[in-house]
Amino acid sequence: MLRKVVLLRLCPLLGRPAVSASSGSRREVASGVPPSGSTSPRALNIFDRELKRKQKNWAARQPDPMKFDYLKEEVGSRIADRVYDIARDFPLALDIGCGRGYIAQHLDKETVGKIFQTDIAEHALKNSLETDIPTVNILADEEFLPFQENTFDLVVSSLSLHWVNDLPRALEQIHYVLKPDGVFVGAMFGGDTLYELRCSLQLAETEREGGFSPHISPFTAVNDLGHLLGRAGFNTLTVDTDEIQVNYPGMFELMEDLKGMGESNCSWNRKALLHRDTMLAAAAVYREMYRNEDGSIPATFQIYHMIGWKYHDSQARPAERGSATVSFGELAKLNDVMSHEKK
Amino acid sequence: MKLLTHNLLSSHVRGVGTRGFPLRLQATEVRINPVEFNPEFVARMIPKVEWAALVQAADTLNLAEVPKEPTEGYEHDETFLRKMHHVLLEVDVLEGTLQCPESGRLFPISRGIPNMLLNDEETET
Repeated sequence: MLRKVVLLRLCPLLGRPAVSASSGSRREVASGVPPSGSTSPRALNIFDRELKRKQKNWAARQPDPMKFDYLKEEVGSRIADRVYDIARDFPLALDIGCGRGYIAQHLDKETVGKIFQTDIAEHALKNSLETDIPTVNILADEEFLPFQENTFDLVVSSLSLHWVNDLPRALEQIHYVLKPDGVFVGAMFGGDTLYELRCSLQLAETEREGGFSPHISPFTAVNDLGHLLGRAGFNTLTVDTDEIQVNYPGMFELMEDLKGMGESNCSWNRKALLHRDTMLAAAAVYREMYRNEDGSIPATFQIYHMIGWKYHDSQARPAERGSATVSFGELAKLNDVMSHEKK
Repeated sequence: MKLLTHNLLSSHVRGVGTRGFPLRLQATEVRINPVEFNPEFVARMIPKVEWAALVQAADTLNLAEVPKEPTEGYEHDETFLRKMHHVLLEVDVLEGTLQCPESGRLFPISRGIPNMLLNDEETET
């Protein structure tokens, strides 16, 4: 499930005033257990989705939106690369949380016949990037996909599922709309994303304000992701972790870029205001603790990649229990062989 | 929004379940966009299409007669494939609404993009 970590706000002035936790207080959020004080009857309601929609729309309407697209472009191209690794073509594909179409622009018509792109931000859809393949744009929420069962041969998603309140439900939806033997290829931010910024803001706020509150949204842990995919019904799971490090002149440039990406915090429990004094202190802490030799500061984006298949008879399956021909007792010898090869 | 898209969309309003398909289409602005003819793609889409919903949508838009069923051996019938290519992929609804047959909820189509976002009361819990 979603793992509660110490969280720090990115942009203090975006959106309407939030339900704010007092300094130093934290809320426990567990799967299936409604958070106390929730303003919604839904079981999991960590993110203000309406605010996220506004943030994404704002980002897409900037005069030069491509300026902030470098990270989503990179991850989109990596997902397209993984799609190409699958030696088949996909007549109908679906991109969930497509933004301006960061995956579709890297796909070609030999692999994908037609791609349906869904996002909650209409301005992102209206400013789609150019693609080789025919695209269809639909405004839809990741948790409530307006499609029938067994429709798509391929579902992709890049850097959008980390803002979903009910991730188990979203994954079940993806599984539902996939055809049997269809595949889901996705990527989302992992738990160590922006740890430098998180720690810096936490230290600075503790020093200047006597306590801290969440400023960076909660992220999913990688082992939880495997469980969620399995529970949603996916087969033949693969989950792996990538890290992308981007260097910035300073903390304020990093925060500006996050805003331009539409990745500002939208947790319900975020603090509405971040003091200038605290931000200046955080920038100093960030530079002191993490700076590179050339004077720039690094920001780490941990990316979880996942692939899951919908069950079909033709797929490889585990062997019958008791059919092994080699004993587990032989594992020690396997270690010897491995260590020998390493020399 | 193409008619192929309409054929895949269903309503997700709370309590609707599988009765959210097919959506009732009302178009106030329709445009014909020429699209490159791809016989392989159209042939692969024919078995996927819910045919009754397609006929109904085509009637709503007053399109030329759509056959009640795919013709036998349609894979090699270029006339049929071209006709279906036109109906499925070239007719573009720019403005209009989609209505959930069960709940009556109207989803707007704006600039060719259907808005299937739900408000809080409509989301299932």
